[in-house]
Amino acid sequence: MNTNLLSSMGRSLLNRREFFSHTATGLGSIALANLLASEGLLAASHPVIDPSRPFAPRPPHIKAKAKNVLVIFCAGAVSQLETWDYKPELMKWDGKPLPGGPSVTFQGPAGNLARPQYAFRPHGETGKMVSDMIPHLATLTDDIAFVQSLTSKTNTHGPAENFLSTGFVADGFPSIGAWVTYALGSENQNLPAFVSIPDPRGVPQASVNNWGPGFLPAEFQGTTLSSKEPVRHLALPQDISFKQDVASRSLLARMNQRHLEMHPGDGKLAARIASYELAARMQLAVPQISDLSSESTHTLKAYGADDESNPLKAAFARNCILARRLIEQGVRFVQLFNGAYASGGELNWDGHSKLKEQYDKHAAILDQPAAALIRDLRTRGLLEETLVVWCTEFGRMPFFQKGALGRDHNPDGFTCWMTGAGVKRGVSHGKTDEIGQKAVENILSIHDFNATILHLLGLQHEQLTFKHNGVDRRLTDVHGHVIREILA
Amino acid sequence: MKAAAYSLAFTLAVAAVTVFEVTKTTFCGDDTEPHSVDFVRDVRPIFEQHCYACHSGDQVKSGLRLDIKSEALRGGDDHAPNIVPGKPEKSPLISFVGGDDDAMRMPPEDSGIESLSKSQIATLTTWIEQGASWPDGVDLAKLLDKKDHWSFKAISHPEPPHVLAQSWPRNSLDSFILAGLEQKGLRPSNEASRTTWLRRVSFDLVGLPPSTEEVDRFVLDTRSDAFERVVEELLASPRYGERITQHWLDVVRYADTHGYEVNTERAHAWTYRDYVIRAMNRDIPYHQFIRDQIVGDAHGEDAATGFLVTAAVLLPGQIGQDDVSKRLARQDALNDIIVNTSETFLGLSVGCARCHDHKFDPISQKDYYAMQAFFSGIEYEDRHMQSPEADSLRKQELEFQLHVTEINQKLTHFVPLARPATNVQPHRKPVDARLNTDRFSPVTGKRLRFTIHQTNNLEPCLDEIEVFDVSNVNVASAAFGTTLTSSGDTVVLARHELRFANDGQYGNSHSWMSNTPGTGWIVLEFPQAQTVDRVVWGRDREGMFTDRLATRYSIEVEDSSGTWHTVADSLDRMPHSNDAPKNASTSFELSGLSPEETQEADRLIAEKKSLEEKIRLAIDGRLTFAGTFHVPDKVYLLHRGDPEQPKEHVSPAVLSALGTLCLSDDIVEQSRRQGISDWITRSDNPLPARVMVNRIWQWHFGCGLVETSNDFGRNGAPPSHPELLDWLATTFINSGWSLKQIHRMIVLSSTYRQSSEIRSDAVALDGDCRLLWRFPSRRLEAETIRDTMLATSGRLNFTMGGRGFDLFQSRGGLSGFPPVETFSDSGLRRMIYAHKIRMERESVFGAFDCPDAGQSMAKRRQSTTPIQALNLMNSPFTLAESKAFSKRIETFVAQHSDTVDPVRSQIEYAYRLAFSRAPTQPEMVDAETFVREHGLTSLCRVIFNSNEFLFLP
Repeated sequence: MNTNLLSSMGRSLLNRREFFSHTATGLGSIALANLLASEGLLAASHPVIDPSRPFAPRPPHIKAKAKNVLVIFCAGAVSQLETWDYKPELMKWDGKPLPGGPSVTFQGPAGNLARPQYAFRPHGETGKMVSDMIPHLATLTDDIAFVQSLTSKTNTHGPAENFLSTGFVADGFPSIGAWVTYALGSENQNLPAFVSIPDPRGVPQASVNNWGPGFLPAEFQGTTLSSKEPVRHLALPQDISFKQDVASRSLLARMNQRHLEMHPGDGKLAARIASYELAARMQLAVPQISDLSSESTHTLKAYGADDESNPLKAAFARNCILARRLIEQGVRFVQLFNGAYASGGELNWDGHSKLKEQYDKHAAILDQPAAALIRDLRTRGLLEETLVVWCTEFGRMPFFQKGALGRDHNPDGFTCWMTGAGVKRGVSHGKTDEIGQKAVENILSIHDFNATILHLLGLQHEQLTFKHNGVDRRLTDVHGHVIREILA
Repeated sequence: MKAAAYSLAFTLAVAAVTVFEVTKTTFCGDDTEPHSVDFVRDVRPIFEQHCYACHSGDQVKSGLRLDIKSEALRGGDDHAPNIVPGKPEKSPLISFVGGDDDAMRMPPEDSGIESLSKSQIATLTTWIEQGASWPDGVDLAKLLDKKDHWSFKAISHPEPPHVLAQSWPRNSLDSFILAGLEQKGLRPSNEASRTTWLRRVSFDLVGLPPSTEEVDRFVLDTRSDAFERVVEELLASPRYGERITQHWLDVVRYADTHGYEVNTERAHAWTYRDYVIRAMNRDIPYHQFIRDQIVGDAHGEDAATGFLVTAAVLLPGQIGQDDVSKRLARQDALNDIIVNTSETFLGLSVGCARCHDHKFDPISQKDYYAMQAFFSGIEYEDRHMQSPEADSLRKQELEFQLHVTEINQKLTHFVPLARPATNVQPHRKPVDARLNTDRFSPVTGKRLRFTIHQTNNLEPCLDEIEVFDVSNVNVASAAFGTTLTSSGDTVVLARHELRFANDGQYGNSHSWMSNTPGTGWIVLEFPQAQTVDRVVWGRDREGMFTDRLATRYSIEVEDSSGTWHTVADSLDRMPHSNDAPKNASTSFELSGLSPEETQEADRLIAEKKSLEEKIRLAIDGRLTFAGTFHVPDKVYLLHRGDPEQPKEHVSPAVLSALGTLCLSDDIVEQSRRQGISDWITRSDNPLPARVMVNRIWQWHFGCGLVETSNDFGRNGAPPSHPELLDWLATTFINSGWSLKQIHRMIVLSSTYRQSSEIRSDAVALDGDCRLLWRFPSRRLEAETIRDTMLATSGRLNFTMGGRGFDLFQSRGGLSGFPPVETFSDSGLRRMIYAHKIRMERESVFGAFDCPDAGQSMAKRRQSTTPIQALNLMNSPFTLAESKAFSKRIETFVAQHSDTVDPVRSQIEYAYRLAFSRAPTQPEMVDAETFVREHGLTSLCRVIFNSNEFLFLP
């Protein structure tokens, strides 16, 4: 980092102790305590946030197995039946009505049962049955812990994405990335602690809710960044030269310093001064991380970032490389989206009408880059400390919709998985019924899944709370049990 | 799901116990006499050792506590009763501790608490067998009386306390504060400077800094009532209502979109925002303000009931078609009304009782559903306002509509004729996703075919086909009797169906989609032969979608002999480009006209545009998103809040701990709302006045006397000054529930006039300043920062009311919200008038803890982030306002001084505008060097980023 860009005070602010001896009266730390108390953050079980270094690493509740998280979020509800949940029974029943099945599901009348739209074959030492739709990801199954009996509270995309990301179907609750960075800060002080990488095709259905801070402090909102879209307002305005900007920052620092001297001991003022120094560091670090020109052609090829025949795949692959670079730099929580908003299944996994045709396209975008990302993390040893989560908001029905070649929403039994730090390798936990409609064995909720993610990060989901409107809110509401069966 | 698992496991556990009983008998048989189990000696120690960690005191997992007789015997949420005397095999307690399902056994494996031994289980079993005797009076814990809580008690009328420093208090409020300080051995701070107080009170009451003239005038005003005059001026300013409304909208989580996934525009929500601004400016009594918002439709305040429906909601088309989804969505929608009403007016989290009795407050699940019954007739919809103004607007609209029809007719003559199947140079404009007109010489036929040969992508989609006869009647519409056939349809119910191609409704949600990529046709059959000369069609007239557009097509009409004639096609159109601007459509295509024709057509188009704007205003002026009302749904208590598990029927009743009002089921909808509003505003209901004066206090001091301003329940914070709170509440009620009176008292008090300087002696005793030994300064809120930048740059537009201006390029929908980056005219209005997109934070100021309107934000946080710094340094908004600010300074200085070198005067004026003071000598020197090298605009940019600019002093 080029510290010359910082004012002399800025450099000293990098050291917290110096920072507080610097505030003329020596009252800094008392003021800080006040500030924290006034923000309700000093209760014993709550993380103590130093306002001048909101992303400073903070200790977990218990020993952590994973240091950081990469979430691959497939928006639109990926069919479990075309991916990880092999249901040979459906072959027999193909084209026949489901006796006693629902007449109407989310989008309308239900049609006949439909066979998996892809062939399945066993993979790896475990022989896990995976569909031919995702041949690259299929090679990783020996390392993966599948959770095949998940359930959601709603069958509507937006609320279900809210539920997956925040533990509540309603709008306005903190996202899991916000909770995690609120609790743990980050290892890298020059980059945002929580980065969300939207799909090249657009934002997911519940959009910003997936990375919003809800009622947590705004520091913990995810910053969106992709290989296509830089961080907003990171670059200087066109009319401001670099030289002007440096001089302006320096003048600002002097003005704020004089102001602070008139108001000694005010932690809020000091924290704002520090935030400008942090911003300056981000301005240096973020363009470096987003610049993929240092990646080898071998890497680009492995991810499929060089695939000129499929620009969307290449763009998603670049996002995958970006995700690896962020994890490499110690960013605590990286959320990588595959799939955008509802669009009749054109832009995401919402395969209502022509599932096979659309999944062929979507799988080609997801499969190779995502598999390369996980493999790359492993090769670089990053999987030792990184939890990788693959998730989707719910699953799909075993029957087609009436008059269509696609499946409707199904919140009663679907698959998500984890791999990496602290995760048992090559297990499949929980089961759906023989046609993959409903979870019947070890039925689990999203709360359980999220509690497990927190657990691997050393956080006890019942203790990670924040009081809002009189309620100690949690990511897991009042539910959730750690899924111990998938822990290493 | 979980419940199913439990019940299955439960059955297994019972089975296990049955087996176990055999062994137990043997075990007992070994003993000489089955000795009598004593609760205190034998049973309680087992509970203490193995169960208390999760089921006693504050820990009541699954609703079960075992340290109190009545609670233990009653059982938990799902398994009650827990202990059935005489029947261990029917007592969940035994199945839980003795069952052999690892996942179900208590204590849980991962709790670190040892499982019960066989003999301990036997002891419990025997105890229950023997009748589960639990003597009264042996319990060590006491069940709290949840009703025994300060905020539920009547408001007291305390006398102001005696204080030592008698010269300090200016009013009774000060006496309460001073008494609190003196008790701790603290003294108040010195009075802040006049300028500081003026800035503080201006930001607080109107959300804007004082002008330089206001500062000068006040500083020199030696009259004894100079402060009072300022306060009266501020309270009388229309800016006051705008400022206070912002606080109110935070509480009720107001937004101009519906939220959730589709987040579509809620086009008439702003009428509620304007109602609140009006009400605040008029200072209507607070109890009246409450009544308006719950049942304003009963007394001509239609927009006020917008309060009931401020929450995010799933619209009918966004909910699953299955009944389970519909019932859940309905419960969610009603829940938000309950949450909003109880948090806002009562400061109670009644919403917690949706699934189980409230953990802390005396609010039962039955209370929750009884409250729901007051509101179960409300739908989240636009309502026509009932007023003479609304009626006259309706008349106006019809007149305007008539004009538009006439103009349309005239305009058709300017549309260039289609020249199908010719080799002419393409001369007509390219196809447009919104609207296309194909005009041709009149032709007679009974059937018309629209064939699509190619699209820009995917299956073609048409939102509406209109075919006009020579007298300008749309003969294609279903209402006219025209029927449709097609090549094949992609059906998405209530969105894409063939019938939507002529149902008279526009937009993607009412459109036809072919089932073949790139091609498709529709045949329209008129009731009888028609002479037609124009076809008007579009892919999405609402302009949201540009895909699936027919780029090659032909239109044919069948003559009486059965021969099809092509009347128009795309061959004479210029080629379509996907980069065509999305919103560039005019409703008529005019090309290849003579200059005179162009002039006439332009005139007509302009006239039409202005009429359409008037029509929109006439409609907007009548509609309000304030809910519609129908016969109330029958309300049932829902087990665990699950709509699929209804229990007993519940009638409207107020919270049983706080009142006795109970309505019979045949009471009509409006009277139900009248009932609850009357109860909330009853003079003996202690909560509304306390809750409201506390909010006002918080708006001035940053923190309420009760820190948790939305929660006055047992889990909320206790008041720092209980007597002051009651004194304020009493004063509030006695003043006729006047908000302005409370503001007046606060901002004129000695407490409020204190300096904000931090004193180390006081910090040590009261670090978070709850006793108010100084004025706690704070950062300005997002909206205030934006408004203040505009006020400082001189560009703030003071137009009040009406439809919100755009902060984003979209007013709602799925495909993201790219921000608007440059603003002019209405975009320079106060931020309260912005079209608020739920959940989407404004790109510059959103980072300053701007609430997202998801959940109620009773108290904003004040975070400090590097993103804030980036936004304020580098956003186009900052740069534009820095330029405007520097221009304002240059102009002013040029007009008011004739110095050759204006830099120092400019800096001086910049400081006065931004900070209400002149620069000090060192500041002047520093700034001067900087301005000479980097320009005045750069200084303005720095000023906008400075702490002094951004903090309430």
